[in-house]
Order: sequence, then C-alpha cells, then structure tokens
Amino acid sequence: MRDNAKGGALTEVTFYILLSLFTPKHGYAIMQFIEERTGGRLALGAGTLYGALNTLEEKGWISLYGNSEGRKKEYLITDLGREIATKELARLQELTQTAVKIIGGIYE
Amino acid sequence: MSKKCYRYYGGLLVSQANWLNKMAEKGYRLIRTGKMLYEFEECTPGQYQYCVEFIGQRSKESAADYARFLEDVGYRVFFKNINLNWNVGKVVVRPWAEQGGRLATNSTTFNRELLIVEKETDGKPFELHTTCEDKANYCKQMRRPWLYLFLVSVVLGILMRTWVWGVFGAISVVGLLMCQIELLRLNKQAKTKEW
Repeated sequence: MRDNAKGGALTEVTFYILLSLFTPKHGYAIMQFIEERTGGRLALGAGTLYGALNTLEEKGWISLYGNSEGRKKEYLITDLGREIATKELARLQELTQTAVKIIGGIYE
Repeated sequence: MSKKCYRYYGGLLVSQANWLNKMAEKGYRLIRTGKMLYEFEECTPGQYQYCVEFIGQRSKESAADYARFLEDVGYRVFFKNINLNWNVGKVVVRPWAEQGGRLATNSTTFNRELLIVEKETDGKPFELHTTCEDKANYCKQMRRPWLYLFLVSVVLGILMRTWVWGVFGAISVVGLLMCQIELLRLNKQAKTKEW
C-alpha cells in the first residue's frame, strides 16, 4: 500500500479508511461510510478492505477498538494515523489551491 | 426442496462463479458444498450473487479470520476444495504459500483452498477486490501455485520421462500465462489509476 510516510501521497482508499475511523467502525460500516461520502463513486470490495485494514494495523495507523471477541471487529484511528491524515489534508489543500489557480483561471 | 448437482471445476474459479450465478438467476441458492457436490434450495430468482476466491496461500487462522470478516460484512461463505483428493492424513508442502511456504494438512487448509462467497443482490456489482493494486496482488497469489506446478512438472517430466507430467506442464503453462497477462494489464492500469 502506497503511503505518504516518506513524503509521498496516500491513496484515496487509504485516506478514506483513515477518515472513516475517526469514530470506531466495523468493516461493513467503513464500506458504507466510503460509499455514502463519495456518492457511490468509490465502492470498496470486502477483500480489498480486509487487506487494507491489516496493512494499516501493521503500520500502527489504526488499531482494534474494544473487546471484539464474539462480536464484529471494530477499528479506530491511532495518534500516528491522525498525524498521517493531517499531513495528507495539508498536501491536498496545497494541490487544490494550485489546481484552482490554474484551472479556475482558465474557466473564469 | 433441495437440488443436488455434481460438478468439478478445479482451478477454473471464474467458471465456477459464473455457474453459481446462473443457478441463482434460475432461483437456486447454495446451501452446502462437498468434494463435487453443490446442494441448492429454491429462492427468488436473482436474489443472490456469488464470487469464488482462491485462499490456498493462507494459513488456517488467516483463512478463518478472512472468512469471519466476510461474514461480518454480511456475506455467507463456503469453503471448497480445488483438488479431488480423498486421502486421509494428507500433508502437503506449499512453497508458494504466504510467509515463505506452509504445510497443509487435512485438519488445516488442505481441501479448503477456495472460498465461495454469497451476497444478497442489492443492485450493485459484486466484487471482492476493487483496486488495481489489490487485484494485482491477488493475481500474483494465483500465479504462484501455477508457477510451482509448472516447475515441478518440468523437473519430474525430464527425470521420469512420462507424458503425464507433460500434461500437467501444459495445463500449468495455460494457467500461468492467463495470470501473467492479467497481471501485466493490471500493472499497466495501476500506473495511472487507483481502481
């Protein structure tokens, strides 16, 4: 999974998963969150989500929330994950500002 | 009333999924699987959709965890064999499995190499893998056993000089090529697109 830990960029899927986990969620709720927030543009497959959650947990960006024994596993973003998401937001703001200056200028 | 069908698809995962989807379109929902057995019950035509996924590279725990995750998402899962083998007490070396290879036994992952996943139709396409990167990773996992079978067939074919290994070699080349072509397509797509 590509990430911005070394100054690169997060994938849209990674960023949306991190955003969805600012409040605890299980797998299906994450899929619903992403589909609703993107108006159905980004529909995440359960297999892809499973792999992404395991990768993000290994990186320490998200962690299991509460005792999920016998219940659906819930995840929550960690402090490191929040830091990564904040950096990504700053990167995207810079990108959109540049884009608005260029594209907005053409169409105005 | 249940309906029993006997089929063997081996490594033809897409054909197996297509057949299950056709059965669902006719109004038959999968309720049980055996070595070659598929048992169905009647349902509303088109009420369910199916995907078949290869999980032979996973450990017993990892396969169970993945199956549980899919169930938590709201799907039904069935474990299925990819080979026809009735041995008891079988131990198989899988050098192509995750973490540098694994042993598969009857009590762990042998004869449980596939997952048949069922979703209730909601008008949206049913795909388990959606990003180019993830699809490519899945394709790589599928390619490994074909590559291993090809190498074993070549070595044993040369040593034993029997046509049987030539047949296995030819089959594995087809599987290997199909995975490789798909992988190249996905890698090319992944250069500019995320999904």
